[in-house]
Amino acid sequence: MLGLYLHVPFCSAICNYCNFNRGLFDASLKARYVEALLSEIGRAGGAGRAGADTIFFGGGTPSLLEPSEIALIIAACEDAFDVARDREVTLEANPESVTEDRLAAYRAAGVNRLSFGVQSFRDDELKRLSRLHSADRARAAYGEARRAGFNNVSLDLMMWLPGQRVGQWLESIDCALALAPEHLSLYMLEVYPNAPLKDEMARARWSQAPDDDAAAMYLTAMERLDAAGLAQYEISNVARPGRRSRHNLKYWTDGEWLGFGCGAHSTRDGARWKNVSATEEYIARIQAGESVALDMRRLPATERLGDALFTGLRLSDGVDLSAIGERYGVDVWQRYGADLARFIDAGCLLREGARLRLTRSGMLLANDVMSVFV
Amino acid sequence: MDQRFVRNFSIIAHIDHGKSTLADRFLEATGALQAREMEAQVLDTMDLERERGITIKAHPVRLNYTSNAGQAYVLNLIDTPGHVDFSYEVTRSLAACEGALLLVDASQGVEAQTLANAYLAVEDNLEIIPVINKIDLPGAQPEEARRQIEDIIGLDGAGAILASAKLGTGVAEILEAIVTRLPPPRGNREAPLKALIFDSWYDPYRGVVIVVRVIDGVLRPGMKIRLMAEGQDYDAEQVGVFAPKAVFIDELGVGEVGFLVANIKKISDAKIGDTITETARPTPEAFPGFKELKPMVFAGLYPVEGHEYPELRDALEKLRLNDASFFYEPETSAALGFGFRCGFLGLLHMEIVQERLEREFNQDLVTTAPGVLYRVTTTDGKVHEIDSPAKLPDAGLIEKIEEPVITAMILTPAEHVGGILQLCQDKRGVQKTLEYLASNRVLITYDLPFNEVVLDFYDRLKTISRGYASLDYHVTGYWPSPLVKLDILVNGDPVDALSIIVHRDTAYERGRALAAKMRELIPRQMFEVAIQAAIGSRIIARESVKALRKNVLAKCYGGDISRKRKLLEKQKEGKKRMKRVGKVEIPQEAFLAVLKMGTDSEG
Repeated sequence: MLGLYLHVPFCSAICNYCNFNRGLFDASLKARYVEALLSEIGRAGGAGRAGADTIFFGGGTPSLLEPSEIALIIAACEDAFDVARDREVTLEANPESVTEDRLAAYRAAGVNRLSFGVQSFRDDELKRLSRLHSADRARAAYGEARRAGFNNVSLDLMMWLPGQRVGQWLESIDCALALAPEHLSLYMLEVYPNAPLKDEMARARWSQAPDDDAAAMYLTAMERLDAAGLAQYEISNVARPGRRSRHNLKYWTDGEWLGFGCGAHSTRDGARWKNVSATEEYIARIQAGESVALDMRRLPATERLGDALFTGLRLSDGVDLSAIGERYGVDVWQRYGADLARFIDAGCLLREGARLRLTRSGMLLANDVMSVFV
Repeated sequence: MDQRFVRNFSIIAHIDHGKSTLADRFLEATGALQAREMEAQVLDTMDLERERGITIKAHPVRLNYTSNAGQAYVLNLIDTPGHVDFSYEVTRSLAACEGALLLVDASQGVEAQTLANAYLAVEDNLEIIPVINKIDLPGAQPEEARRQIEDIIGLDGAGAILASAKLGTGVAEILEAIVTRLPPPRGNREAPLKALIFDSWYDPYRGVVIVVRVIDGVLRPGMKIRLMAEGQDYDAEQVGVFAPKAVFIDELGVGEVGFLVANIKKISDAKIGDTITETARPTPEAFPGFKELKPMVFAGLYPVEGHEYPELRDALEKLRLNDASFFYEPETSAALGFGFRCGFLGLLHMEIVQERLEREFNQDLVTTAPGVLYRVTTTDGKVHEIDSPAKLPDAGLIEKIEEPVITAMILTPAEHVGGILQLCQDKRGVQKTLEYLASNRVLITYDLPFNEVVLDFYDRLKTISRGYASLDYHVTGYWPSPLVKLDILVNGDPVDALSIIVHRDTAYERGRALAAKMRELIPRQMFEVAIQAAIGSRIIARESVKALRKNVLAKCYGGDISRKRKLLEKQKEGKKRMKRVGKVEIPQEAFLAVLKMGTDSEG
């Protein structure tokens, strides 16, 4: 089953740490963009409608699209693909851009899962990240979502923020737990070399806590969430039973997905491509009937194998070496075992029967382990 | 060419005092190269030389000059290496000349290197013309430089020519002084051939190209010649000059400088300082001063990836074709696997070889700490030359160890004397002389253990004197010393490639400093890494590198697996620069930690 990703490249303000593909909101550009997105989806359909079971609106800030626009896009997906009745339809939303009515309208349009970019429940931290909302606004938005009928809500939180101490991070975790969401995503802030935040940090002399504290933030939060019934299922994600992100799981289980919109990524039939990133160019190409796919390439078997392994290791359950080995016709352990042994010795990695998985502390060192597969 | 109208000269200068620029001006002024053909600094042809602004090898150039009086002259400019590692080559280049230009930077003044080479030139009875360069610079103090030339070197400052090689000022005057003030070559055209080899290199098409100065007689293509050091005979095939491009000619007459191709296969057969004569009519005496060049500094070179050993061996073989002064032999390290023990003339030479291997031959290398050649007498009375700490016999079997000693000449402004004396004492030096020269300059002469100088002497000298002190040295002998082997243990296992030989009295301090430096250089790994310094079975210092706790844990967005893969590839690439010893990944620079302890650990 395919996952469908829809990219919405607009934001009402640009966050000082973000390097995703996005730009400032512009109503007329948005209208033309939605138009283009609908035709791209329409084109992808063609003969023999493929099955899909997840739709994910990511951004940018997808909640800047009107519910009616969301409804049109979902309808286009249904036209082009055989979208399962039991589908997951996620919308990423910023707390400041929603109201109860608007959320109810999204729900009516077919959205059944919300992912709020909360990032922190401390106002000082939100301010440092140049976010537009406050902690109270985040709580209010969450309440609005519940009242609008959403029973599957995820919150994004970021740790290792400038100046943040372990205890302050755990405050955000506790605030999130108090709301009892179905799902949480926890990331560590990565300050990119050219992010405005980097300059602001230098000017204000904010620094990120030592690595050991960052590790403590991660481990303590995961333990606390586990204890509260939000079980970790992936390096950065926890969920109540049955509430894992079905869409994101496709990325980690060697699945297939199609991305629509500027800069969206697709993987299907052993090939991978990316759409052109610039919004205007994307629209122009669609209008001209040209292809928007760039860097289309068929993946060599070794690369597919490696990708399946390193993405699969993100999951708490890890990877089934015999299943993957069978799929790609190789003995995985024979190929990589020698390089993996030292990670097992170091307590980063566990080999349990055919399964290979990271320990929780190993997840913090996942990049070291994963580089074995590239 | 009538020898009366030949002038052979060198330029003696400190690094960066403008030697290459002046040489370029000579080429322009004599029409050897049109300005537009010229790339900056034509004489320094190797990339490395150009980048470092130093000359390693001497490239002679023949210039046709018409004097103010209208007489045509041939001027042979013999470029000299500008670093103490190559001082023997300097002596041979100077021996090929009758005169020298002593180039002094008008703002920097006389430096130790200049002084040392000026002394060599004076000993060789060369006529010296002082030139004060860079007079166009804002900080120029030509009168101060003139005073230093008189007071420090003892030359007549009044005859110094003021110049700016950059702007071309004084160039005409210098050229005229070369023909009027320098003597023509002596030597007898009718005598048996006697020619001094002062440079050679390997050319893939011609074999070895030898650069010679004819002392007596004539060198012609077709002659049967003999290289006197080995007594080997060859056929002189081609003879020519560099003008500056190679031009073949019918003969090199007495006093002339040029090149010779004689079907010589190995550069080690054409030794610098050797004498060429005619087989049929040999000269009774070789030109004096020939020495076999011996490597002075030794280090292990290992491929980062063990399987690249054969490529490293091939690269070393090729490099040696062009550089007879460097030596290598296979060596095995428990920690690093298969590699080579290599000998160099000095630290700069070592760096050059290392850089060429990395740049020209794409080798990823681990270099171990450089050391010197020790003389060890074992209890059975045998004497061993030890070029690697790993080869040092057990302490119980050692009767005595002798270490090579250098005589160092340090020239410094007076205010830094205190710090420099302290440094020399710390380095176990024995003071020989301390002379207050005029112009606030002090000449300090010390005998110092060569190993101490190899380790971190020069950088500290520069730090202490804020860059103003300069150093020149030559090895003068051996003295006995209570030396011990200092081992470094990583996670309990000694890493042979990290062992160094140190003086017993400083072993403790060095061990601590080295362990501390290693802690800085070894990145955090998945487990704690213990670093210990030990002498024999006694641990004298310990440090630990705490376990790595986290990598980056950032959002991987919207199924962009390719991006994630690229990040992982980059991470892996970073690891490639490290050598895995046991379970621990050690970066290349950690093997040279002993060179980088510097002032933070001991000062």
